[in-house]
Amino acid sequence: MAARRTRSGGRSKAAREFVSEVEDLLERMRADLADLGDQRAAGALEPDLVNRLFRSAHTLKGVAGMFGFEGIGGLAHRLEDVLDDLRMGRLATDAPALDLLDEAVAVLAAEVEAVGRGDARPEGGPALAALMARIADALRAPASEPDDDLPAIDPTLLRALTEYEEHRLRENLRRGRAIHVVEAGFELLAFEEGLAELTEAARALGEVLSTLPSPGDQPEAQIRFSLLVASDDPLDVFEHRLDLPHATVRNLHPGAAAAAPEAPNTQAASGGRAPASGAAAGRGARSPQGAEGAAQRAAGERSSSGVKASEAHQDVAEAWQVDRKDGLEGRPSDAPAQLEAPSGASANPQETANSDSDAPDEDSPRPADDLASLKSISDTVRVDIRKLDELMNLVGELVIQRGAIGAIVDQLLLEPRAARLGRELAKVHKTLDRKLQELQAGVLEVRMVPLRQVFEKLARVVRRLRRDSGKDVRLEIRGGDTELDKLIVEELADPLMHVVRNAFDHAIETAEERLASGKPAEGTIRIEAHQRGNHVVIQVADDGRGIDLDAVRARAVARGLVAADAELDDKEALELIFQPGFSTRDAVTTTSGRGVGLDVVRENVTSLGGLVHIESRRGHGTTISLTLPITLAIIQALVVGVGEQRFAIPLTSVLETLLVDDAEILRSEGRELLNLRGEPLPLRRLHAEFGLPAPAPGARQAVVVVGLGDVRAGLLVERLEGQQDAVIKPIQGPVRSVRGIAGATELGDRGTVLVVDVAAIVEDAARRREAA
Amino acid sequence: MSAGGATPGAEGRPFGSASSESWEAAARRAAARLAGCTIEEAPAALRELLVLWLDGDPYALPIERVREIVRLRPITPIPRVPDAVRGVISLRGEIVQVLDLRRRLGLPAAEFGPDQRRHRIVVLHGEDGQMAGLLVDRVSEVLRVAADALRPAAPRESDAVVALVPHGERFASLFDVDRLLDLGRRAERSAP
Repeated sequence: MAARRTRSGGRSKAAREFVSEVEDLLERMRADLADLGDQRAAGALEPDLVNRLFRSAHTLKGVAGMFGFEGIGGLAHRLEDVLDDLRMGRLATDAPALDLLDEAVAVLAAEVEAVGRGDARPEGGPALAALMARIADALRAPASEPDDDLPAIDPTLLRALTEYEEHRLRENLRRGRAIHVVEAGFELLAFEEGLAELTEAARALGEVLSTLPSPGDQPEAQIRFSLLVASDDPLDVFEHRLDLPHATVRNLHPGAAAAAPEAPNTQAASGGRAPASGAAAGRGARSPQGAEGAAQRAAGERSSSGVKASEAHQDVAEAWQVDRKDGLEGRPSDAPAQLEAPSGASANPQETANSDSDAPDEDSPRPADDLASLKSISDTVRVDIRKLDELMNLVGELVIQRGAIGAIVDQLLLEPRAARLGRELAKVHKTLDRKLQELQAGVLEVRMVPLRQVFEKLARVVRRLRRDSGKDVRLEIRGGDTELDKLIVEELADPLMHVVRNAFDHAIETAEERLASGKPAEGTIRIEAHQRGNHVVIQVADDGRGIDLDAVRARAVARGLVAADAELDDKEALELIFQPGFSTRDAVTTTSGRGVGLDVVRENVTSLGGLVHIESRRGHGTTISLTLPITLAIIQALVVGVGEQRFAIPLTSVLETLLVDDAEILRSEGRELLNLRGEPLPLRRLHAEFGLPAPAPGARQAVVVVGLGDVRAGLLVERLEGQQDAVIKPIQGPVRSVRGIAGATELGDRGTVLVVDVAAIVEDAARRREAA
Repeated sequence: MSAGGATPGAEGRPFGSASSESWEAAARRAAARLAGCTIEEAPAALRELLVLWLDGDPYALPIERVREIVRLRPITPIPRVPDAVRGVISLRGEIVQVLDLRRRLGLPAAEFGPDQRRHRIVVLHGEDGQMAGLLVDRVSEVLRVAADALRPAAPRESDAVVALVPHGERFASLFDVDRLLDLGRRAERSAP
């Protein structure tokens, strides 16, 4: 990693490295914070979440320190303190605390952004200092008192646990859960997998409080682990449900469900020695009553075969403590000496660990998890998106060159004397073609990212809105795994945000209004994504008041968008809200339900080659659908001819092509359409669309059937000239955008060809059909 | 003040950025020679202008806005744009709009004839790093003039002409490139 820096002047390599290093971290922290807020609202806090946040803050602190950004490092350190207090229960997980965390992450993000711009101060900006002071205040607030009325826990065991683990243990005991110890032995070489499986199985039944390798007389190549698990299930149920033959389970505390307070002793006594026998007998052995096993093991056991509960506890405690020191190597060490060490001494490093900057490593409750995450980090490469763009361009150039070779092959094949060479070249060309396609697909795939990131941002916005407005709105998110080109995902964030905000601010009614109209007080906004062929459809649906079309008509007339006597059907009226100038910032829009700045949304989505569609039912809600292509970079294009000109139509939106005679073209109310297997297909003549001279009458024509989302249309052209790969390039120059043209591409020997923006044409066709 | 240098290699080869650079360098050299000094010595108050011709009249562009000059090549027309935009060309993989400068200024269309071989596309640095091409009858030279030799343009001149530059016995009209490229209205024409 980069050398230590104390100043971040300029967008140096180190600064870039830092930013890319930290961006993901912040993103994960945001996502975790979002989940935390949700869980708090739902009333079930998952301790892992706070742990993960803690670890992220810790890593951030470390990275910032390494790059010399003291301000960021300092704030991350304070964040660590807050999170530590949260997970230890010293600080209540309430709204102010969450706000503080949200704000801290926002300030961190702003600082990191400043580093990216190259104008960060090492000590951080004023916002950072202010926040530090507020955090200090929050941490000074009185800590919650520890409960002392908890069931007695063996002090030896307590000593073996870290402060955090103890906190979680107490927390679970307070909730009346039973505490079990699960033990299993694994092959040393493959223990990660087995342990992960075991941990996962245990986690399904409760909370894994602590995981440690345990000593014992296991065979050389084996390693044993003990898991301390809190669960609602009593021992027998737990054991049954865990259902892992090589694991043994015993109970430490029966929980509130068990009858007598003496129960733990007996249970522990009966099951206490069992694990060791499991180890001795290897996998698959299980001796719940443990008589034989205990005897067998007693010989090799330091603490002999005591069966009293306290000794069973001690046994566990011993295992914990020994291995805390020895780490994962699992070498038995001088346990009795450890046991005799007074608490707070070096034998129990955990008690001081929390103020220590290395705390997460010490505290980390699940070694297997950490190993897994370490591995995944080393398997991943972060790449600047610009580098991918360059690669993509390069692939694009190659594709064009390949096209040129193809043309040469065709010429050679026509030349009798060169035909043999031509055939050979054709073979090579074919192989090249295939490999190039694979390369292309590979590069495209690298650019794909799941929509989840954007969705999580939206969830954050909704949470904030909810907090600020006091409006009760639930956000449902589905299909976050749906993937899109990184570039599209980036460009999509703003329009989606707009749509969601609109839904929240204007569509969802107040609780009183909702109750009055027989709806649940809580409103719902549902964001859903799914892939459909080469497109991804994202829907934002609300169960709000729906759009008041009369109000829309009135507004449109008032703004001069339509004549006062214009007769508009509902669909046309709905389309009006996409008109530029339909709404302004100052407009009160509660009457129309939705529609602030939707023209901007449509413009943004259309510029990505997508479509916006809206459906609304008065009183029931509104659904806005965005249909987007999966990628923008390289497309397969259908080349068509109109008069002397050629156009490229992205193949992703082409459904089929047909040849038609003039006689087959039908007319209805002055609009042309085609009978496509019984369905009317609206037709657009490309020459008319683009103001080109009309072809000679009577000529045979081709129809390219294009579809986007649910909308279909037929484009009438004169010639179909085959498929070709195309890299869509933006058109530079004084005219910034031309409706109906998505860009241009160079088609080898065919020169520069314009790429038709199918979305715009289809949209225009649909609109005109409705307007006609 | 006129002649100076018919600039050597005034037409950059298509797809060769190197040629345009060497042309620029040559222009600078020629201009420096004209002023009787080395390039380094050239006083800052001197402006370098590219002289081009439309319908028999000279016009001028600030040289720093000129990226390269290429021969006329096939221009792909684009629909739904103002008349002044002839279409697009591909310049080393980048797609650039070409303005017909005669149309832009409302001059009569060029006649077909041998003169067409002298037509050039002057590629400019437009706003926000975007390029734009200007189709002109021909380019002739780079002019070095003292900044104080510029004369204000008559009010009736085209909106894009900001000054008059003495050029031999006559005046070349100096363009403001940004105004020239501003087509004034929202170019997108709605569908018919």
